[in-house]
This record gives sequence, structure tokens and C-alpha cells, in this order.
Amino acid sequence: MTSTSHRTSRLGRKRSESLVAYGFISIPMALFLFLSVGIFIYAVYISTFDWGIMGPTKNIGLDNYRKAFSDPIFLKAIRNSVKYALLVVPIQSAIGLYLALLVNSKIKGSKFFRSAFYFPSIASSAAITTLFIFLMAPDGVFNGVLRFFGVDTANLFNQGAWLSDSRTALYSIIGLNAWTTSGTMMLFYLANLQTVDSQFAEAAVMDGATRRQVFWYITMPLLKPAHLFVVATGMIGALQLYDQAILAGGADGSPDYSLMTVVLYIYNACFRKFEFGYASAIGVILFVIIFSLTVLQKSLFGSAAWKGDN
Amino acid sequence: MSKVRKYSFYSLLIFYSILTIVPFLWSLSTSFKPSDEVYQSNLIPDQPTMKAYATVFGKIQPNFQTLFANSLFIACGVVVLHLIFAALAGYAFARLRFPGRDVLFFVVLGCMMIPDQLRLVPMYQLLVKMGLINTGPSNYLAIFLIKAISAADVFLMRQYFLTMPKEMEDAAKIDGAGPFQLFTRVMLPNAAPVLATVAILTFQGTWNDLFWPSIVLQSPSHWTLPFGILQFKGQFSTDWPPIMALVVLSTVPILALYTFGQRYIINVQLASSAKG
Repeated sequence: MTSTSHRTSRLGRKRSESLVAYGFISIPMALFLFLSVGIFIYAVYISTFDWGIMGPTKNIGLDNYRKAFSDPIFLKAIRNSVKYALLVVPIQSAIGLYLALLVNSKIKGSKFFRSAFYFPSIASSAAITTLFIFLMAPDGVFNGVLRFFGVDTANLFNQGAWLSDSRTALYSIIGLNAWTTSGTMMLFYLANLQTVDSQFAEAAVMDGATRRQVFWYITMPLLKPAHLFVVATGMIGALQLYDQAILAGGADGSPDYSLMTVVLYIYNACFRKFEFGYASAIGVILFVIIFSLTVLQKSLFGSAAWKGDN
Repeated sequence: MSKVRKYSFYSLLIFYSILTIVPFLWSLSTSFKPSDEVYQSNLIPDQPTMKAYATVFGKIQPNFQTLFANSLFIACGVVVLHLIFAALAGYAFARLRFPGRDVLFFVVLGCMMIPDQLRLVPMYQLLVKMGLINTGPSNYLAIFLIKAISAADVFLMRQYFLTMPKEMEDAAKIDGAGPFQLFTRVMLPNAAPVLATVAILTFQGTWNDLFWPSIVLQSPSHWTLPFGILQFKGQFSTDWPPIMALVVLSTVPILALYTFGQRYIINVQLASSAKG
């Protein structure tokens, strides 16, 4: 074989590899460009229109965005979503970490406990929220337990109506989701714990460190990747709260808009008021918030995931 | 461990297990209770009855069988789509060299950042224009189109293919296999664990999804289980046993899937935390 023909065959193989690659990615990339990139641009486009049920009437620039920030119900929705995220994320992360440390110790039945703790994370939000509403009813199990411990639930400030009192509804949902999500957070922490070398902790114990010191000065800093991941994904998920809010409070986020979230607000603008341009603008605002958080997370993590193999 | 520490340790573990398991036992118990026992604090019903199950299998419209069939059909369809597209694109991005690869992969990563709620309005407008928002069978296509591909799954498959040893390919290459044969004969058969992971997580996510079905599915005969629970919760606001029967019946399949596929789920949590 001459060197020329050898080169041609290598070139040919390279070209056929490229062709196969384009064949493989053609449908997936077309779907991404159509269903994500195109849809994204279309969303921004719609958001600049007065776009009702009869279609677009006129381009109104940024008016939809201005309208949003002067609507008290939207501001309430933002406040609720942010308050929810700021409370639920630390709670579910802390419980997740605690559970991970518990089941990571060499104990009998750790597999069983790990499955039991993860259990609430696998059921659908519809099933689990419905169950929660039942348990939290004025005559429900939760109040029954409180009464067992001597709490006079009928004369509590909310008469034991946790989900239908605007002062306790959002906090109840926080409790619900801290309970369901902490199992997932536990798994993330467990994954990180398995990569942590125990020799640091052992060395510290030999030097006379207490259990508490080992936890705060050795274990916690070594779990930094998990902390960042758990907090970032937790925030993104929390800002998208919808299922639990509509199940417990209906489309209005009742009572008194205490369960109105940003996503529920989008749903209302779209399917009850048919203000598609306006609804799209709220979607863009939500995207900007989530995108900023994601960028923050990426910059804290470094960019290992973005590099190829060669 | 000292004895006191050990006891307090185990009581904590048991206490939290009660907190996670007992609510589900309560739904199971309530689904077998007659209406007048619903708010009593007994876990074992005094007069157990199958009435609630008779209701959800027979009386309600759509009945449980319909909701189950819809959930299963949609979840399986989405699993197949995700497996095909994620395997194809994941392999190309991990193992093949072609002009524009890095730019295109950057686009895929960008798609992961677009939340579903931003897609809601434009997607709905588009589906209306395509005539897929209707009460006929083509309404299912709307769900399949929305969920056709997942950037996270492409990413997951690519990461897995990247870790497979080059030697496996080299041996087949010497035998004269082209990129397509390498994919079907060498890579795919060795990717079973990650394919299982993608399938389980996609199934679970689609089975549990309430957001898109509640927006897209127009006819009650198309409702999925979570959407059915949302609707019937409104209708049966005081009659808990049938709702609890639906809660139990919709959780059992996912519990079975989780029990059999546990190691794949743990795997993917590891993989997805590594991608952070």
C-alpha cells in the first residue's frame, strides 16, 4: 500500500465518522433546536406582545414586565416563592445531611433505613400532597397526635386548620416538602461522603479532637461539593413550586393567596385570564432568576463538566 | 459506641423511619376503612371494606384502569424516546470526532437551563397551531412532543460512554467495524446499567408528572393518575377512602420499580451529583 492511498483511506474513514456522527445527532439536535432553543426565543417574542385569546394584537415592548412588577398578586407570588425557597432549602439540606451521616455509620440495617428515608421522595407529588392534606385536616392524624400530647387543637389560633389558614398554609407546605425532598438530599450527601477519606478524621481524633470538632472542622469542609449542589438544585426546584400549591390551595393559591407561587401565577395568567404575552413575560422573569442561580452554581463549582475527553 | 449512644442512635433512626413510613400506612389503612371510620385513630380498620376499591375500579369516570393505562402508555413512550435519542447523541458526543461537536454540545448543556415553566406559553401556542390540543388520540402526541428529549439524559449517556475503555473499541476496529457497528455491537451492549438508569428515572419522572398533563390533556379519557388524583380530590372532598385508594394504587408501581431498580437509582444520583 502506498502512502497516498493510506492517507486517502484515513481521510475517508474520518469523513465517514463525521457522517455517522451527524446522522446520530441530527434528530436529537433538531429536537433541541426546535423544543428548547426555538421555544425559548418564541417565549421572549410572545412576552413583548399584547397577546390574548385571539392572538397577538400589538407589540408593547416591555409593558408586560412593567405590569408584572406593579401587580400586588405577582409581588405576593414572588414573596411566597422566595420565602418558601429560603426556608425549605436549609431545612431539607440539613435533614438530608443529618440522615446521610446517620445511615453512613457502620450499623445494622443501614440499607433498610436508607430505603425508608428515601421512600417519600419516590411517590408522586399529587399522591403525597393529597395524603398530606388528609393528615393535616382539622380532624386528621396530625391534630390527633397534638391532642395526644395535650395540645388543645380546637382552640389553637388557627383551630387546627393548618392548610386553610393563611398564616400556616405556606409553612405547612414547607414542612411537607422538607419531608419529601430530604431523602433525595440524603443521597447526594451519601455520594459525597463515600468519596471522603476517613484518614483526616482519624488523624484528628488521634490529636485529641472531639467529635464536634471533627464534624465542624473536617467533615463539613470536605462536603463542600455536596453543600453547593444540594443548595443550588434545591433553590431551582423550590422556585418552581406548583404541584403542592395547586393541590392544596387550588388555582388561586387559597387561602388569601398564601399559596400563590410564581408558577401558579403563570398558570392563571395563561389559562384563566388568557393573557399569553403577560404569562410569557413572567416565565422569562422566572428563567432569569433560575439562570442566575445556575451560573452562580457553575462558577462556584468550576467547569469540569463542560470539558470533553480530549 | 457506648450503650446509651447506641440506644439514642437507634431511636433516632426508628423515629425518622416512622415519620417516613407511617403516613403511607395510613393511606393504605384509610383506603380499607368505611366512611364513618375515616377520622378514627385506629391503624387497623374495625370493619375493613373493599368499597373504595370498587369505586375507583368501577364507578368513577375515568376509572382507575383508564388512568393507569394512560400513565403507563405515556411513561413507556417517553422512556423509549429518551433511550433512543440519549444513546445516539450521547455516543456521538463522547466517541466520535466531527466538526462543530463542542459548539453543539454547548447547546445541549444550555438546554438544561431552560425551565419547563418558560416553555409553557410558547409550547401551548405551538401545540394549538399544530392542532394537537384536542380531545382525540392525537392529544397524546402533544405530551410526547413536549417530552421527546432530555438534555440531562444525553449528558448522562455521554459521561458514561466517556468512561468506557478505548481498548474495547480498538479490538472491533481491527476487525474492520465502522462507527455504526461499534455503536450497536460494542457500546450499546456494554451500556446496559446507564440505559437502565435513564429508563427508571424517566419512567418515574413521567409517571409522577402533574404539570404538563394538567395543561395539555383535554379529555378525561386521557388523564394520567396524578391528574386524576387532582381532579377527584376536588370532587370527593369529603369521601377520603376512594382518594386514598388512588394514592395507594398510583404509588405501588413506582415502589416496585424502585425496589427492583434501587442500585441504578443510587448510581445515577452519584452520576448526576458529579456533573454539578
